[in-house]
This record gives sequence, C-alpha cells and structure tokens, in this order.
Amino acid sequence: MAAEKMNADQMWLTMGPQHPFSHGLWTLRVKVDGEIVTDAEPEVGYLHRGWEKECEQRTYQKIIPMADRLCYSASMTWSHLFCKVAEEALDIEVPERAQYLRVVADEICRIQSHLMWLAAVGTDAGNLTIFLWALREREFMLDLNVRLCGQRLTTNYPRIGGVRNDMPYYFERDCLRGIERFEKALWDIVKLTDESSIFVGRVKGIGYISREECANLGITGPAMRGCGVDHDIRRDDPYDAYGDMDFYVPVYKDGDAYSRFRVRIEEMFQSCSIIKQAMKKLESIPKTAPYRLKVPKAIPEGTHMARIEDPRGEGLMYLISDGSEQPYRLKVRSPVFVNVSASKRMVQGVRIADIPTVMAMIDMCLGETDR
Amino acid sequence: MAQPSEYYSKYPKKFKGTGILTPVCRVLKQMIKTTFHRPVTILYPYEKEWVPDNYRGRPGLRFDRCLGCGICVRACPTTCIELVEVADDDGNMVLRPQVNVGRCMMCGYCAEYCPVDAMTTTTDYELAEFNRYDLIYDPRRLNFEYTTDMMEVHIEEHLMSNLAKGITDQPTAFYNPDRPVLEDKKCIGCQKCAKVCPVNAIEMVVVGQNDKGKDIKRPKIDEKTCISCSNCIIDCPKDALKMNEVL
Amino acid sequence: MAYSSILNWIINRDDWVNTVVNGVDYSGIVNMSPYAGYNLPYDIGVKIWESLGGLIAWLINLIFPGNPVSYTLVSDPVTNAMAIILMVVVIFAIGFVVNLTMIWQERKFLGRQMDRRGTMIGPLGYFQCLGDGLKTFMKENVAPRDIDKKIYWWGLTLVIGTSVLLACMIPLSPRWYIVDFNTGLLIIFAFFALAPFLIMCAGWAQNNKYSLIGGLRAAELMISYEVPMLILFAATVYMTGSFNIGDIISWQENNIWLIVPQILGFIVCVVCAVAESERVPFDLSEAEAELVEGWQTEYAGMKWGLIMLGDYFRGYVACALVCIMYLGGWSMPIISSFDWYYQYLPELFFVLKTCFVFIFFITARGALPRVRTDQIVNVGWKVLMPLAVVNLVITILVKWFIENGGVF
Repeated sequence: MAAEKMNADQMWLTMGPQHPFSHGLWTLRVKVDGEIVTDAEPEVGYLHRGWEKECEQRTYQKIIPMADRLCYSASMTWSHLFCKVAEEALDIEVPERAQYLRVVADEICRIQSHLMWLAAVGTDAGNLTIFLWALREREFMLDLNVRLCGQRLTTNYPRIGGVRNDMPYYFERDCLRGIERFEKALWDIVKLTDESSIFVGRVKGIGYISREECANLGITGPAMRGCGVDHDIRRDDPYDAYGDMDFYVPVYKDGDAYSRFRVRIEEMFQSCSIIKQAMKKLESIPKTAPYRLKVPKAIPEGTHMARIEDPRGEGLMYLISDGSEQPYRLKVRSPVFVNVSASKRMVQGVRIADIPTVMAMIDMCLGETDR
Repeated sequence: MAQPSEYYSKYPKKFKGTGILTPVCRVLKQMIKTTFHRPVTILYPYEKEWVPDNYRGRPGLRFDRCLGCGICVRACPTTCIELVEVADDDGNMVLRPQVNVGRCMMCGYCAEYCPVDAMTTTTDYELAEFNRYDLIYDPRRLNFEYTTDMMEVHIEEHLMSNLAKGITDQPTAFYNPDRPVLEDKKCIGCQKCAKVCPVNAIEMVVVGQNDKGKDIKRPKIDEKTCISCSNCIIDCPKDALKMNEVL
Repeated sequence: MAYSSILNWIINRDDWVNTVVNGVDYSGIVNMSPYAGYNLPYDIGVKIWESLGGLIAWLINLIFPGNPVSYTLVSDPVTNAMAIILMVVVIFAIGFVVNLTMIWQERKFLGRQMDRRGTMIGPLGYFQCLGDGLKTFMKENVAPRDIDKKIYWWGLTLVIGTSVLLACMIPLSPRWYIVDFNTGLLIIFAFFALAPFLIMCAGWAQNNKYSLIGGLRAAELMISYEVPMLILFAATVYMTGSFNIGDIISWQENNIWLIVPQILGFIVCVVCAVAESERVPFDLSEAEAELVEGWQTEYAGMKWGLIMLGDYFRGYVACALVCIMYLGGWSMPIISSFDWYYQYLPELFFVLKTCFVFIFFITARGALPRVRTDQIVNVGWKVLMPLAVVNLVITILVKWFIENGGVF
C-alpha cells in the first residue's frame, strides 16, 4: 500500500445496478480521470435465480418454458437450444416442416431481439425517437409471435422433436407482409442513425477490440463479427434448416462500436431474407406433413452438447443425463456473460459519455448472464 | 451465393452521414404524417388490440368436459394447478383443477396435454386483482365465456416408427398411444388402480384362486377408454404398473 | 422610444400630490406612472388594484365612514405601488402560461414525431403539465445528508431564479416590458450566461460524482457556446446600431428582418440557443444515459420540477432571443403597418413566433442523439465560431454598402 501512489485525480464511478445505462441489473465500476475512463470492472450476479439448479428438479418437458425465461427477448432461441440438446441426446431428427418453422420463429425472434437492442442504443445515445420507432417495429414482430406461438415474449414454441403447433391460418400472409413492412421501416430508422453525422460520430472509433483479443476473450456473435472474425454457427455448423438457407454473414474488420452496430443492422436485413426463403420452402411442404415427433420422456444416460447462434452470440447447453426423466446437470453457456467480461478492455480510454454506447453494442441481457 | 443487402452498398463503412438534415427531415415527415393519420399508439384501457384465439392467456376450464384425471397437474411446470373437490351440476363431488394464476407462467401445457380438451387457453390477459387470494381461480371461475375451438390445443405427434415406415398421415391427434402394462409378479390385487382411474378403464378380473381359496384379482385395462393419465401407475403401492411408451 | 425608469420616478416623487376627492379621483395616476409611455401590464395592474383596493376601501368605508385608511388605499402612491407589484405578477403569469404552452407544444410535437400521442389530459393534452406540476408539488422535500447545504439550496434557487427573471425580462411588445433598458439585450445575455456557473456550484455541492461531472460539463458547454453567441450578438448590434430590444425590432420593422442578410447567423444562433438552454442534443450536463440525471441527480421532488420549469423558461428565453435578433420580434411584414395591429396583436404574434422557433428545438431533440463532450467543443470552436465570424464579416460588408453604396 505504501508503495502505491495515491491517485487523487482519479475516481471510481459506480454505474449500476440501478442506472439508466445498465439494461438490467449489473454494475460497471469505472475509474475515471476527468472524463476519460482508465479502468473498468464489470460485476454481474444480481439476477441469479439458480436456473440450472431448478432445471434438475423438472422433467425435460417442463424445462422448455423455463428456457424461454433465460432471456426475455431471445426466448425462442433459448428454448430452441434446449430442445436441440435434448434431440441430440435422443439422437432424433426433427421433421422437415418443423425445421423450417423453427427457422422462421428463430429469425422473427432475432429481428425483435435486435430491435430491442436498437431501441436501447437509441436511449443510450440520447435519442428517444430511435427507441420508439424500433419498439414500434418490434411490436409488429411480437404480433407475429402471438399469431404463431400464442404469446408475445415467452413463446414456448419448440418441443423436443418438433414444434408446438403448425402455422395458423393466414400466418404466411401476415408474416410476409410484416417482413415487407419491417424492411421499409428499418430503412427509416437507418436514416436516423447511419445518415446522421452526430450518431455516426458518437459510435465511430470507440470501444475498439482487435481480432486476437476477441478470440482470447471469447467474444461471440455480432460483437465478434464486428471484429473481423468470419464465423456464424448458422452457416458454419448449420442446424435445423439453416443448411438450405442462403444468407450473407456480415463481417467488419474495424472492431469498433460502429462495426458492431452495422453487423446487427445487416443481420436484420438478412433475417428478413431468411424468413422469406423459409416461407417459400414451407409452401412446397404439404400442410399435412408431420411437424412433431412423439419422443420418450426419459433421455438415455450420457453427456450431450448443442450450440446455436443466439442474437447475442453463441449459446451453448451442456446436458448430463442419468437416464431418468430429469436432467442430472444442465449447464448454460451464456454469450453475454463472456462478452461482458470484455467490457474492461472495451471502455478503457473512452469517455464517460461513450460507455453507454459501447456497452449497448454488447446488447446486455441479464437473464441469461446470471441465470 | 448470398449477397449483402442494399444497406451494405448504400452506407459503406467510410460513410460519415449526411449531416443532420436527413434525420431532421425524416422526423418532420413523421410528424406531419401522424398529425393527419393517427399514431400507432393504442389507448389501452379504452382501446384494445385484437388478440388471436390461440393467444395463451390464463387457462380456461370447460367444467363438464373435465374428467379430473390430473394430467394438467403433472404437466404444470410451476405446480400452480391443484385438484380440488367440487360439486358438479348434479351435486356429486368431483375432482376438478384449481389454478393459482398468480403462479401460472401461461405456458399452455395444461391445455396442450388435456386428453379431452377440457382445459383450454383463453384470450383473457387482464388478470390484476387486489389481493393474492383472488388470483386463485376455482374450477367454476376458470370457465371462460367466449371459448372457441381455436383455444383448444391439440398435440399432433407422429410416431417415429410410423415415419420410418413412411406413414405420415396418422398423427396421434386425440389419443396418446401409451398404455400402462402390468408386471404380474408385483401385483397384490389391491384394486387401487381401478379406484383412481378417472375413466373407469380398469376392471378387476378374477384370474384364479390362491392357496387359501380367495380370488386373485388383476387389473384389466380397456385400451380404448384409457387416456394414459398414469394415475394408476403413480398410485400403485408396489410399482406393478409401468407406462409402455409407444414410439 | 422614450422611456423613464423606476429611478426617475423615485427621484421625482416630490410631484406626488394627493388629488383624491372622495376616494374616486385617479387623475394623477398616469402622471405618477414610472413609465413615460403606455405600459400594458402596468395598466392591468392599475385596473386590478382599482377594483380590488377600491372594493376593500369601500367596504371599510361602509363600516367606518370617512376613515383615513380607505382614502390611503386608493390614494395615488398606494395605487401605484400595488400596481407595480401586480404588474410583476401579471408579467410572470403570462410568461408562465407561455412556458406551459411550450412544454405542452414540445410534448405534443415530440409525441407526433415519435409516432405516439403525447399528452392526453385536458383539451389536446394541455392540462398534463399542470397535473405534473401538482404531482411534483406533492412530493416530500428530501435532501441528502452530506451536502454542502448553503450552496445546495442557493445554487438551485439562483438557477431557477435567474431563469424566471430572464423570462420576465423579455419584452413582448413595445408596451409590454418591465424596464426598457438601453442595454436590454446585453443584460439578458449576461444573466443567461450566469446559469452554468451556478450549475457548476450546485453540482459540486451535492457530494455526488454524477452531479460533479454534470456540473463540470455545464462549464465546458458554456465556454464553447458563449463565444459564438456573443459574436452573433455583436453582428446584430452592429447592424441595428442599438442594444435596446425595442430599437433592434423597430430597425427590423423599418428595414428588413435580420434573417435575410444574416441567414448564416440565424442557423448558428439556433444551434447555440439549443446549447445555451441545455436541451437535447446538447444536454450534456444532465445526460441521463451515463450520468443519472447529471447535476440534478440529488434534487428530488419539487426541486426537480422547478428545475425542469426553469429549463423551459430558459428555452423560452433562447427562442425569444432568436426571435428578437432575427425574426423581427413582434413586428410582422404587412399587417404591422395597420393601426389595429399594435392595438391588439403584437404580444400574440411575438409568442407565436417564439413557439415557431421552438419547433426547431423540438425537432432537433427528436432527430438527433446527444453529442459527446469533446465533439461539443469541436463543433463549438471549429464550426460555429468561424461561421459566426463569417456572419460578422458579412454584416459589416452589408452595413458598409448601406451607408456608402445605398443598396437598400
């Protein structure tokens, strides 16, 4: 202690857990020298609910709606991931129709999750118009969720061996109309962001992370693709019907907050294209085709793993089964938990005003981070 | 090969924005538009959004259809459903589910697994009450006036064995093919299974006589009326019954 | 415009002669008025006291006939003093109503820009502000323990006080003013620039890191926007040849609105005015995304409500300044040449113009995100400052042409 020089000109600033910038309950303690951030320390864990332990008390069926609760805006992908790990364990292949339905639901979920993120970026940058326009579009996506699954957020749509229900009447029409409308509306929002010099100036050149650091820190998802790593599980390790889909994976080499922003916007456009393709494929599959398999209640003994491209990064579930109807252990690898550990590296050297913008590009979701 | 969208070419990474004029114009355009047309906002308590019939609100119960089998109780992830004894229209005491909506996570499993579609999802989402006890819906209160066919949830599962054979048009739509099977050695003939069966599918038949000259009774399961609720399996004191899963 | 100050009136108080006969003669009041010309709020004050004080005097006179109190109440000096107090109340009330209208305007316009409805209480949502004010008024007055008490309270009071003072100093027409200073614009600017210093003090006094940073940012904002604003101000004064607001506006009425020769100045002035009134996109001192509520973090309840009100008063003043400097104040191109215009309408048109300028503020808030601290200094010194200087040069050239070439 004696050797340590006292830095009276620097101070620790605690941002969170009740702070407008922390979307959810987490704390970022930053050390500031005037306005410049010199050090940072993320703290998570306020929202720990013992999710993994609770799963050990429930049968596999009952975990699906619980997996929805991991992340409020990416509920579809998380329940999909759980079903996927169970299917991996049972070694069954999902009927084709169910595969495409899952892709459609997944991409709707991705769009609405990214819109939630865009809204958060709007508030963090200080513009409520972006926030409200993005949320308005998100409502239309949630309406599609209601039509398809019966609920806005907690979809509970995938089942082990298929999906809950087939498309309801006129869903195809509504979905395509909704997507078309959304594409137009997204251009409007882009006019407020990419065409605005102030917004671009706010996000450009901050929160820099190099490709190597990105790999070392384990960052995944849009944040990784914004750092120049060309990797998308949907394309590189295709699951369900993603192998048949033709889509572009946006990659930027700059590694700043702006590239992460652009990756997500481009992903939304690509998701629209994926939904259109999947809808076209679904037309060719007869409506009476099976979409759900009857699966045994118990899962044979063994360890199984599945991963999926969550809107926020790579979601992974690791299942240890003891042959009963309940899992012995279910481990969740949350992308945000890993990504947020890079926040120290990201915010070093930026200004206090940049912290919300940099951290917004991670798209925090504490439900899955703390589990 | 997939192409990047127009966004890529229209705004290259070096694009620095077009000043502040474009967003300002866009916002003013929106202002003029919403001045003449109404904004998207729905004035909630006065106006309500249309919800489709398959909306998963609170669970609903059609009292007369219910068998009291308890499948919903076992399917519920939050254990918010409880079987309670209530008088039916004729005054007989019957078992019916009671739902604690305060705990309900609206997953719709009760409606999905109900063998007779007595449990349905409903479009009722305004569930606020002044105290917690009012959130416990007794079987009569669970009734939802405007129940339609769309609110029933059917499981249309296909058997994997059928699919392997190429049969794709025989979903297990309204019945579950699983049936309990008896392990004869363990059975003591206590008749408990026959008593708990909600559809009276189990009949105790005499299969012989023991050394003392008393009848040996064994349950005989009527395959057609059985709804595979597994009540008999759970209540069997000697674990003699087991569910035979048809896959 | 001829004028006389309160000082003049006090010096000449020997002229007060009680000409009251039976308590109903008011002939001396006009002569005793501190204003040489006709002053509408003062006149309203006199009228109010005539009815109010007259009523009281009459009632007392009914009980004690012929008592001196009744005669004193309606005598010239008392009527005059009460009229001045009531005049101030009237001016504040009108400023307050204009302010509420602007808050309502912002919420409604912003709502439409964001595709929502805005306020909904009352006719077209006008009463929402009153409801919000009442709500903050009901709140408990909480202050943190470890604050610097004196500065905490005085900083707040002075920030709000200067804002309200400024709003009352804005003349609405040739007949609606408190004091017709020869240096009116300069004094308004001086008071306008006072707030960032007080905000800095208030931010320091709260013993809160967010508030401290917010207060320092207010100072940062001031140094980057006061300078271009003052250069613009110099250009205006050079063109019109007076610091007096009335003179500036009558110059514009007689010649041309200054927005035409100084369009550049108008644009810069709107940007600076947004920054001066600390509104989005320049509300760095209360950036709610990173600093919880900036320098207002520890001001809860009614204090916050008053700060909000003060902010809008400053917004009103900023709009009014733009209006006075570039849009001809209360004059209108054609209709102000008619006699009835100055009889009935100048105040209304001035307020309407102010609200029109406020639309720029609202749209900027709707369309743009908040700028960063370094960007705000960059924009202030590298963009707005040169533009303001260019504007000054243009003004000088134009003025030179007027005087020597006779362009106009």
